[in-house]
Order: sequence, then structure tokens, then C-alpha cells
Amino acid sequence: MIALQVSKLKKSYGADSVLAGISLSLKEGERAALMGPSGSGKSTLLNCIAGIDRSDSGEISISGEKISDFDENALCKMRRENVATVFQFFHLLPTLSAKENIEFPMQLAGWEKEAVANRVEELIEEVGLDHRATAMPHELSGGEMQRVAIARALSIRPKLILADEPTGNLDSKTGEDILNLLESVSNTYRIAMLLVTHSKQVTRICDRTLQMKDGRIIGQEELSDGNS
Amino acid sequence: METPEEHPAAVVRLLWSRVIWRHWRREKKLTAILVGILALGVAAFLAVHLANKAAVAGFGIFTDSVSGESDLLIRPKAGDLREGVLSEIREQSGSLPVGIFPVLEVSAADQAIGSRMMFQLVGVDLVAVQNAPEYTEGTDAPPFIDGGVEILGRSDRGFISETLARKRNLEAGDCLPIFVNDRAVDLEIIAILQDSPLRPGVPEEMILMDLPGLQELAGREGWISRIEMRVSPGSDYKRNLDGLSTILEERGTADYFVETPEARKESVTTMGSGFRLNLTILSSLALLVGTYLIMQAMEAAVIKRRSEIAILRALGVTPGQVRLAWILESVILGSIGSLLGVVLGWLLAGALVGGISQTVNTLYYRTTTDSITLSALEIGFSLSFGILSCVVAAFVPAREAANTPPALTMKSGSQKGGLAMLQNIPLGVTLLCGAILCALLPPYVTNRGVNVPVGGYVAALFFVLGFSILSGLLFSPLARILQKGKRNPLRQYAASQFRKTEGRHRLTAAGLAVAIGMSAAMGILVASFDTTLKSWIGHLLKADVYVSAPGSTSITNESTISKATWKAVEAMPEVEGLDVLRRYKLVIDGKEVFLGGSEYNQNSDRFLRLIWLREPENDGPLGLVEKTEGRFPAYVNESFFRKFGLTKGDQFSLPTPKGEKPIVISGVYADYGSETGVVIVSRKNTRIWFSDDSISQMAVYAGEGVDHSELSARIGQEHPSLNARTNARLRAESLRIFHQTFSVTYALEAIAVIIAVTGLGLALSGLLMERAAELETLKSLGATRRGIATAAAWEGAGLAIVGLSGGFLMSGALGWLLIYVINPQSFGWTLDYAIPWKSLAGLSVLTITAAAAVAYGVGFRYAQLRYDRVE
Repeated sequence: MIALQVSKLKKSYGADSVLAGISLSLKEGERAALMGPSGSGKSTLLNCIAGIDRSDSGEISISGEKISDFDENALCKMRRENVATVFQFFHLLPTLSAKENIEFPMQLAGWEKEAVANRVEELIEEVGLDHRATAMPHELSGGEMQRVAIARALSIRPKLILADEPTGNLDSKTGEDILNLLESVSNTYRIAMLLVTHSKQVTRICDRTLQMKDGRIIGQEELSDGNS
Repeated sequence: METPEEHPAAVVRLLWSRVIWRHWRREKKLTAILVGILALGVAAFLAVHLANKAAVAGFGIFTDSVSGESDLLIRPKAGDLREGVLSEIREQSGSLPVGIFPVLEVSAADQAIGSRMMFQLVGVDLVAVQNAPEYTEGTDAPPFIDGGVEILGRSDRGFISETLARKRNLEAGDCLPIFVNDRAVDLEIIAILQDSPLRPGVPEEMILMDLPGLQELAGREGWISRIEMRVSPGSDYKRNLDGLSTILEERGTADYFVETPEARKESVTTMGSGFRLNLTILSSLALLVGTYLIMQAMEAAVIKRRSEIAILRALGVTPGQVRLAWILESVILGSIGSLLGVVLGWLLAGALVGGISQTVNTLYYRTTTDSITLSALEIGFSLSFGILSCVVAAFVPAREAANTPPALTMKSGSQKGGLAMLQNIPLGVTLLCGAILCALLPPYVTNRGVNVPVGGYVAALFFVLGFSILSGLLFSPLARILQKGKRNPLRQYAASQFRKTEGRHRLTAAGLAVAIGMSAAMGILVASFDTTLKSWIGHLLKADVYVSAPGSTSITNESTISKATWKAVEAMPEVEGLDVLRRYKLVIDGKEVFLGGSEYNQNSDRFLRLIWLREPENDGPLGLVEKTEGRFPAYVNESFFRKFGLTKGDQFSLPTPKGEKPIVISGVYADYGSETGVVIVSRKNTRIWFSDDSISQMAVYAGEGVDHSELSARIGQEHPSLNARTNARLRAESLRIFHQTFSVTYALEAIAVIIAVTGLGLALSGLLMERAAELETLKSLGATRRGIATAAAWEGAGLAIVGLSGGFLMSGALGWLLIYVINPQSFGWTLDYAIPWKSLAGLSVLTITAAAAVAYGVGFRYAQLRYDRVE
């Protein structure tokens, strides 16, 4: 089943064309690395797919639902239920503890209290944060913050995770751990992942790489040791 | 499962408990500052309103507390009423069940050394009051029940209030030494007037006497001040009251007129309403400054949490839910701030009420300071106003934050902010043009005859908004100036922030400009008053010693100096001559005015010379003596000219106890001592019209070589009841009273500047937070923490300079408006425009220093935070 379908997506900032007719697709459980130089449009593409930025034209479908026609509220609903984002700078809510950050999307989506509690326990264990559950974001290391961010992304059982430089702000050892975690959850829950990265290390867990330049995909490579 | 679409309240609840509440707990100082700013704004507004109310609420009809409230009052058109009127009225009211209570009121001064207290001696027919239906048929007893018959007909006995007895530790049998006119009297206290929950409280300064006794004491046998009439309660009350009103109105004479106590209170408190309205407008403008700064503070708070809002949006919270949560937050913050503001305002009102009450007493009418009371309506209004300001202030930045795509917000760096309106230069120019047009409008006259300069107030609002917008234009030249001279990288960096300013800089500068503009405009008004008053006093006070009847320097002091006394002063060998004046209250066209009967010194060329707005043909000592075409010549003051629209050459009828007298105005003079209209005629006329040889005050011209202080002391020794002051002392006293009148405005100015500088600190905190990455870069380039703080101080000082410059331009326009439009329209005073350069320079230094210091502190704090940890 197709998790993500993007066709002829265009986006400009004034006279600058950032996305010049991008088309791509991801199957359920598939992981793709989006690579390219700075300013090639990788993050903008990711933001448009997540619905936190708007494209000028083209279509985006997630699990068969065409989201390019969605209004703001429908996009919010999609983010609450199907698509999660992991950011380079983690973007945890500073007023909430690690556990509360993970709970938050489920509470927002209206989950029952018990279901939230069970799911949080599962996730905390899964990302290895049992001993740090009550810590506040400013008390966590970079790796721990990214684990919380991943757990938060997983909490709603999304069909698609978008990750923008998920290891960009981490040391290589921690980055390796985070990649293993992403690979593991993607395999377990059959979650499609689109990872924006500059790092060859990230491609290790991907099924293919997509090369971007000047707002276009100029090439892609299937990776033989992927886990699709 | 509750989905957000089905239950948006659930999401708002979640945001409240998980985000907002925790943010407040984490940012206690910021939350406290926000609440504090709001509380100060609400408090300033409410305090002036409450103090105003308490200062005038004390005006009442003194006999209310003794005989209950009357249904109708009969008052003389000029001076006092002949007692004979009583029988006419009895006859007119026929068989109607009406109680008729004649009352005489006389001012008396406290003999205690240093006391400025004035007493009001109230003479009533105690037997008639005791037989009033309220006391014979009701459950209440008259407050003088203990006095028995011991007081009837006595001119040396009276009842005093519970408050006075408590304060002076007096009891029945003690003596209270007072001056009645220029007579020293030891008044024996017969009993204490008991307060009753069924009647208004007895005012502290009221002394109750039997009518004939007071008439004898004051030398007013056969005269009364008014007649109070009460219709017997019962089923026919309304019909009887209507019948009585009709009879009295139909058969009314030229001597008196009939009014209700409510109308009396309304007409009296109308005097001075211009002063009170100005205070109210001033306090509203303080609130406007507060609103600007609340907006600035709320914006800083939104910026601080902009990335948080973006994360929430990325997690699926809709823009509508963000807005709703933010409004809820501002409602709660607004409620807490407003509640605190109500308490603070109530406390502040207590501090202000004394000053306002004294001003009202000095310039307008007799009032007592009431306790500060807060009605549910006032609490409700203050809360609504505070909450609404907070919601409006928060809504604009919150809407902007909620509608900005999260992807854009999550990128670091400065983003637009502030009010879009502040970048609309054509709007600013249009507002200034509109202000000038509004200033040209005539005042709106209420049905009570009060001039309200509506056009002037709208013009003030337009000036404030217009200059707020245009002050942003000053950033660019400031940037150029700061970049000139010796290269200083930190100053260069600060200047670069002003090259292309965004809304936030403009909002901060506008907030500061409003606060400074308002304060400086009040400064200009006060300085103009000061200059004009000093020149007026200098011109007017040419005599060597001034002598007035006992009691305070107040237009409401009705004490007099007997002919024997003032003739004795005139006969003193050191005295070369006198100007004398007798003042009477009159009612012309329903408006209270003062009539002065004056007689100028004819022994030398020294006599009172007024400042003329319309000069008479003859302003010499005999200028008022000769009739002109059968009419009595008169000078009128500027307030009279503005209130009645009558000027030199115009004619009108003056009510007197001897009937209407034809008057022609021969000159109009400037008068900054009274907002009430004054008509001056020759005392030769008033002696006859009022059958009265006493005077209210005199100006004494000493012979050559006479020491004025010694002469003043001698007059005081020989006539202890008189207030004798040298020229120098009277000048100093007049200026003291003037400064006391403006003490309220000084307090409001201080509040406005404190709020403005606090707001600037908050705004800078928001600006620096947005530039966290930039600060990180500066550090990586070798800038120290102190260096970054210094750059912030330059920026703070720059913002203050723009705010000050815009504020001073605004104050110039507001000052012009206050002096040439609002003041003449509401008070009837023409002032000379004066700029208090020294005070403004002091205000500038204080503001720039405070802004730089606050900015340095903020910069120092942010310089130590890591970019990725800035929250």
C-alpha cells in the first residue's frame, strides 16, 4: 500500500522557486533518505508534506487521502492522527516532562486516559527512557531529547514519520543509537519514513536515497541492504 | 473518546493545564510583571475616579442628617431670604400637609492655632424638626434629643458631630472656641449629635444650633439661607408634592426659586465638573498608555512562546484552538491584574482624595471628604475594562502567531511583530490632520450647561495615535547618527537594528512615546499655569498686607469682617489706604456666580489693577461708580464671559434682595483664582442692595517706611479673628495651593513613566530572545557577556531616544491642545504657553538612563543563555 504520494509539487518564495515539480512515493514501511545541498528544497518539501507549510501547486496524498486540498483544521487532524515529524532541534514542549511530552499528542487526539497511560509506558520502555521519564527537557541530553521526540512521534501510531536531520544535532554514537531506534520502530509498526539528511550514516537504515538539487529530484538509488 | 472537533473545550483544557499554567509557574517574574502592568493601569484609572467621587460625595445639604431629606428647597436668588417669606409660603401652601423648615447656614473658623478647619453652623427651628412626622410617627428619634430645651434661643450653645467629638476628645459641657465672622465665640457643647442608620451621617464640621440663636450670633436677625419643605408621607404623598411644586412655581417671586435637593446637588457639583472631567480623561489616557504597554508586554510573552505555539501547531493544534487558549489566558491574567488593580486603586484613591477634596473646596464649593466607597458597578467596570484591554492586547500578537505557518516560526531569526498599523505612515498623517480639524470644533454644551470639549478630547486621541505611528520614522535617522563617529562595533550592531525597523521596535517606541507625550504634555500645562499664575499674582498682588475673614482661603468661605473692624484697620496710622471686597452668592439663569462689591483705595495711585482681556474706558478707582445710561457698570471675569457669552458692552439683569438691577459690562478681566463666574460692581451699590456694610477681604496699602511684616502682625494681634498675610506670604500660599491642585497629575505621570520603562524592558527581552542565534554568533566572534549587554544598552537607549523624541513632539501638540482648546473651553482660562525645559531634560535623562540600565540587565541575562536553550 502507498503511504505517501507526491506529484508535481511546486513552491516558490517570491521569485525564488524552491520546489520545481517534485514527484515521489513511499510504500508502507519504506524508508527513504532525502539528500542534497543546502537550499535544494529538502526541508521545504518535508514541511509541505507535514502540512506545516503550503505548496503552490501539485498534489500530496497520505494513505490515499489527498491532503493538498485540506483546510487548516483538516491538516491539523492529519497531524494528530497520521503524520508525525521529528526535528533536528527536537522541539519538545519546555513546560512538560519527558513523559508528558509523549502523552501530549494522544491527549490532544482525545485518547482515553488508560490508553494513554499504557501507550506511554510501552513507548518509554521502547526508546529506553525508563529512568528519565519525569525529567524536564532542559535536564535531558541531546540524545535523550531526540528519543523523547521519537516516542512522541510514535505515540499516535502514525502511518508516516518525517524526520528533518534527526541526527544532525547529535554525536555519532548517539546518532547511531537513534537511527537503530528509528529502524526498529519502522520495521515493527510498518511506518513509512522520509528522512532529510546530509549524512551518509543515515542512509544505512534506508531502502533508497533521493537526490535533490534546485527544487528537483535529480536521481535516486536503491540500497541493497535496506530493510524494506 | 473525545475528539478535538467534537470537544474543543477539552483541547483548551489540555493546553491550559499542560502549557499555560506551567508557563506561568516557570516564568513567575514575567507573569508578575504582566499582572503588575495591568494592575497599575486599572488602579490609576479607578483611583482617580474613586477619589473624585469621594471628594464630591461629601457635598450634601447639612440638614439631611438632622431632619431627613427634604422634598423641595426654596433658595434666594441673591444673598439671604427675608424671614417674612415664610408666612407667604405658609399661606401659599394652604391646607397641604407640608412641613416648613427655615434654615440659616453660617461659616465659622476654628480658633485653634494652625487649624484650617471651617465649621458650618446650621440654625434650624428645633421645635419644628422635633415635631416632624418622621420623629412623631416613626421609630427614629431626632439626633438632638438629649439637648432638651437648654438650647432653644441660645446663641452660645450647639450640638457637634460624633466624629468631631471623637477627634477632639470633646463631650457635653465642653467649650469649642470658634470665630463667627470676626467675633470670637466660646460655643458650649450641649450634646453630641447621634448618628442613626436611618439617616445620612452627621458631617464632621457641622454644628447644629437653634435658628434664633444663630441669627443673633451671626447678626442675621430676620434672615434665613433657605427653606426646606417636606410633604407628609402617606398615600397622597405624590399628589401633595406635585400640588406644592405647582403652587410654588406659579406664585414664585423674584426673591427666590424652588428646586429639589437632587437638582441642587447636581447644580452645585456641576461646578468643578470640568476639573473632574479633566482628571478622568487624564486617568483614561493613563489607561491608554497602560493598554499600549500591556500590548507590548503580551507581545513579548507571545514571542517568548512563539516556538511553543509552532510545536503545538505541528502536533495538530488548530489556529482557532491556539487563539482560544490565548484569549482564555489573557482573560485570566486580565482578571487577576484587574482585581489587584481594583484593590490598588482603592488604596491609591485614599491617598489622592485629600488633594482633590481640598482643590474642590478651594476653587468650587464646600465638600467634605467622604470615605472611599466602591460600588459593584465600579468593580464590574474596572474588571471589564482591564480584562478587555488585556484580551485586545493579546489577541493581535496571538492571532499573528497562530496564523504564521509553523515551519516559518520554527526557523530561527527575527520575525515581524508589533501592530501593522504602526507602519502605516499615511494613516499617521491623516490622524494628525484629523486632530487639527477636531480641535477647531466648538465645545459640546450639556443640558446642565457644562462645556465639554469633545472635539478637543478626540483631537488628543488622534494626536496620540498619529504621533505613535510617526515616531517610527525617527529610527532611520537615529541609526545614521549612531553609526557616525569613532567605530564602535557594539554601537554599530545596536544601530544596525534600527536601520530597517520592524513592528516590535515601533510598538515599543510608540508605547514609550505615549507615556512620555502624556507626561510632558501635563508638564507643559502645569508650567503654563505656573508661569501665567506667577505673572497674574505678580500683577494682581500689589498691596502690602492682605486681610481676610477667618477661615480657609476658599471661595466657599462666607465669613465676613464687620464695618467696625475694617474701619479700625483703615484708621491705623501705618495704613495709607484699602481696597475692600464683599462677596455674595447669586444665581443667574440657574448658574451660581459670585458678586463682588468692591471699593478701591482712593488715597494714592495704588489700588487693585486687574489684567484686562477687554479693557474698560476707565479702570481707575471710580470706574465702577458712575452709572452708564441708567445701568450699573460691572467687570466680569473670563469664566463669566465664557459661561454666559456676555462681553464688554453687553447688558444683563442682576438679581438682588432689592430686585433685579440693570447691569452693563464695562470690562472683562483674567481670573485664575476661580472657575466660577464673577461679577464685580461698586460696593456702594451692594451696600444698598444687600443692606450690608461688612466685607469679605481687604488689601492694605502701608504708608512709606512701614515694615509690612510688622503691620501684618499688628493687625493679627489687634484683630485675632482676621487672617492677615504679607504680600510675600500670600504669593507663596497661592502657589502652594496651585501645586497641591496638580499633585494628582504628578502621581499619574510617575505611574506612566514606570509602566513605560517596564514595558521597554519586556520588549527588549522579546527582541533579544528572537535574536538568540545572533547573540550566539556575537559570542563566537569574541563578544563578551558585558559587550553584548552594552550593545543591548545602546539599543535600549536608542529606543528611549526615539520614544522621547516622538513623545516630545506629541506633548508639544497635546500641550497646545490643552492650553488653547481644552482649557479655555472647559475652565474658561487663557494661559501662556510655557515649556518646562529643565523638567523635560530631567525626564529625558531619567528615561534614557533607566532604559539603558534595564536593557543592559536584559542583555546580560540573555548573553549567558545558549541559543538552543532559549525558552
